[in-house]
Amino acid sequence: MTDRTPTPGARVLTALLASTTLTMTPLALAPAFAQDSGTDTQTELAPESETEAAQDDEAAPEAEAEPEAEAETDAETEAEGDTETGTEADADAETASETDAEATAETDTDTEAASDAESTTDGEATADTETTSETDTAEDTDAPADQSETGTAETAATEAGSETASGEDAGEQVAEEETGPESAPFSAAEMPQVGADWPFYGGGPDAQRYTPLDQITPENVGGLERAFVYHTGDMPTGSAEGKYSPESTPVKVGDDLLMCSAMNILISIDAATGEENWRYDPEVPNEAIPYGASCRGVAVWTDPQKAEDEACKTTLMEGTIDARLIAVDAATGEPCADFGEGGQVDLWDGIGEKVPGWYAVTAPPTIVRGVAVTGAQVKDGQAEDAPSGVIRGYDARTGELVWAWDLAAPDEMRDGPPEGEVYTRGTPNVWATALADEELGYVYLPLGNSSVDYYGSNRSEVENEYATSLVALDATTGEEAWKFQTVRNDVWDYDLGSQPTLLDYQGTPAVLLPSKQGDIYILDRETGEPLTPVGEITDLPQGDIEPDYVADSQPVSEWHTLRKDPLTEKDMWGFTPIDQLWCRIKFRQANYEGYLTPPSTEPYIQYPGYNGGSDWGSVAVDPERGLIIANYNDIPNYNYLVPREEADAKGWKSIEQRQEADNGGGDGGGAEGAGDPQIGAPYAIQVNAGWRSGLTGMPCTNPPYGGIRAIDIETGETVWDQPIGTARRNGPFGIPSMLPMKIGTPNNGGSVITAGGLIFIGAATDNLFRAIDMETGETLWSDVLPAGGQANPIAYEVDGEQYVLIAPGGHHFMETGVSDAVIAYKLPAQD
Amino acid sequence: MTTYDTQSGAQAGTRGPGWAVRILGWVCVIFGLVIFVGGVWLLVLGGSWYYALAGAGLIATGVLLNHGSMNAVWLYLAVWAATMVWAWWESGADLWAQVPRMLSPTVILVLVLLCIPALRRTAPRTA
Repeated sequence: MTDRTPTPGARVLTALLASTTLTMTPLALAPAFAQDSGTDTQTELAPESETEAAQDDEAAPEAEAEPEAEAETDAETEAEGDTETGTEADADAETASETDAEATAETDTDTEAASDAESTTDGEATADTETTSETDTAEDTDAPADQSETGTAETAATEAGSETASGEDAGEQVAEEETGPESAPFSAAEMPQVGADWPFYGGGPDAQRYTPLDQITPENVGGLERAFVYHTGDMPTGSAEGKYSPESTPVKVGDDLLMCSAMNILISIDAATGEENWRYDPEVPNEAIPYGASCRGVAVWTDPQKAEDEACKTTLMEGTIDARLIAVDAATGEPCADFGEGGQVDLWDGIGEKVPGWYAVTAPPTIVRGVAVTGAQVKDGQAEDAPSGVIRGYDARTGELVWAWDLAAPDEMRDGPPEGEVYTRGTPNVWATALADEELGYVYLPLGNSSVDYYGSNRSEVENEYATSLVALDATTGEEAWKFQTVRNDVWDYDLGSQPTLLDYQGTPAVLLPSKQGDIYILDRETGEPLTPVGEITDLPQGDIEPDYVADSQPVSEWHTLRKDPLTEKDMWGFTPIDQLWCRIKFRQANYEGYLTPPSTEPYIQYPGYNGGSDWGSVAVDPERGLIIANYNDIPNYNYLVPREEADAKGWKSIEQRQEADNGGGDGGGAEGAGDPQIGAPYAIQVNAGWRSGLTGMPCTNPPYGGIRAIDIETGETVWDQPIGTARRNGPFGIPSMLPMKIGTPNNGGSVITAGGLIFIGAATDNLFRAIDMETGETLWSDVLPAGGQANPIAYEVDGEQYVLIAPGGHHFMETGVSDAVIAYKLPAQD
Repeated sequence: MTTYDTQSGAQAGTRGPGWAVRILGWVCVIFGLVIFVGGVWLLVLGGSWYYALAGAGLIATGVLLNHGSMNAVWLYLAVWAATMVWAWWESGADLWAQVPRMLSPTVILVLVLLCIPALRRTAPRTA
């Protein structure tokens, strides 16, 4: 190397240059967030009075948690009466009564019956018991716990009697019930259990995403092979291009896998071979696609009063993105003639002017005692005058409206809006998957915000009271039982996106609630009272935009949070010192006073971003090992409010305005929150989701961007915590680096825990489906998917063989491609 | 020094720094300026001192390279060593976090070291 330095030197140089400059491109670790929408509202005080009430009589709670937060809050509302209160363990009887008291009007006998039945539950710990009527057919499950098979009133009664106190009441009520077996609600039914089947979106009736199957183990998982790959044929065409995020999870009942595709085609395939049994296409138009074409799942319900061979004995139900509730015979795919009009119910009914894409169902309905409960996604950030967040319960057999719960006018709207009126507009909705509690007859609803997420002064008191709360309704009457609020006056879009999970917490039947800000709560199922400590963050910044509205204190889980420490300048990243420096400058320019920094017209940092924490994939619970498995995102958003005139100048329009203007064009399909007009509020919002550098497109913050951890249910402590997702699909210039190194990517979609000691999960943007050792968090096996595994996997068994399955549909905003594949895995045949 | 600038690097063994050295010198000056200006901006915003200092060091290294001075090597070694210390202090063993902090400065270090033979030929006389 003497003189001719030039050559080698030059090359290196060029390379360097390249790398630097180019650098920019880098990793497309796209942050993606699959957010969904919801609406939001705000909130104010938290937990209600029920709490208190409860406490008194209660026995319970070990951890009672601090009253501060919640208790104080408002007593108002609920105080009046609701069911929620009372009860606790044994006391149910009262509950029932209370219920009626207030409820009066509508309540029917059944209701009460129901309640008692529930009470029963408490007696025993865990959750498996629940009963609901759904599903299933033939095999019911291996799982234990079935007490009655019939599922009818008597059953309930019996159990009730035996386990708990209230036996007698139950008895009577039951009797009454029997008189009117015609329509929903029915009494608590036996619930199909998870095992050979995966009868519910969340696995068993408790939505633990846990299977007792143990054939696949850490020792043999290395040999896992594809058993079959099925293609639904549902791929985007025309205006749907770039808008697919199917997020679909099948259920498995008997010999069949039952599922929906991105555009809501219902399909049944053979669970062992992947051969198609039938399909039913509701012909959803492209213009109905809201933020993304998603159908997270389906519900199966077995009619207790039909003979085995009757049509629609077992019904497969879904909500569609064009807002229909559809029921078909699970055996044949034929629409259930007795359900609504030709097998469907129009959910636009009572919502108001029909604007395709604004009001869409993306989660499976939740069926409790024969009542199919559904909310809907209301596209975020469009306008204050948006479709209602009303929750409705329909008779699962007939499709008739059993009740409606309009949080702003619960009594007036219970039977639907009066002639000429619509459900209260702009109220907090439920886009996430709700959870049934067949024993108590409750449905647990994770509420979002009002339609305008980032400005709250125009929200009504009642919106503030309910937004971002978990609300338990008596699914038989639509009466509120209790609620628990996780954010007061939410201006961060921290709507509740995760499906809750039933579990036994130190002997108390509980419901587990993960949240986007990362906090995990465990509540008493009957009262909503926290069983784990809830603290209060005080002296929070209130900002200059609406200081009177932004809360100066917020509840926080002192039991466990997925949220990491606040960002510092040191956490800024890049590929070279130059882009790192740029991000440091942006960091210093932004308003950031930790998590819960209020919105401002100057840039501000929201961390964690609206994708969580925990989002719609939710968490899995291993009741045997006593662990929660939670995958989570760890990425900030970089936002700013845009004054109305400026937004107008930019031409930002709501979905309704766009459609009026160009006669139906849907929307640009940008990221959630990017240029949302928030019509009606004085500000629009610009969200840089995942905070990517404008210079390079790379994330401005240090990896990891996502992780997965195991949490000890007894202590709330982290057992292990690992980044999830490798760098293989990411690299400079969007060129896949092929690096198998774990970096920790954004992720969406949950996991499945198997009794064999494995966690199966896709979720990350590396498009791998992997098996993780339950003990250590190490990845033991993986397979490359045709597109992102942004969907919850399932596990089931056919002919003694365990299968694991995922439908890797990809996700438009996560930039993980698109696919119509459904892939099942099993161990190679033994001989 | 101007003299050296006018020399043709292609004539190995003669006096000016080769053109490769000079390109590297200019690259250091340009990137150094970007980092220095951004670093001062960051300082004004209340952020880290590192970038302004490192930017200045890089500019100086570039100037020295253009002058064919061996001091460029010593200076950059010092800048690089200080960078490593700072990087470790900020992020320790977090490898991903060290990518922007350590990678590019180390690549530049290697390039600067590759200039030693050329600088040997020219620098002594200069000095």
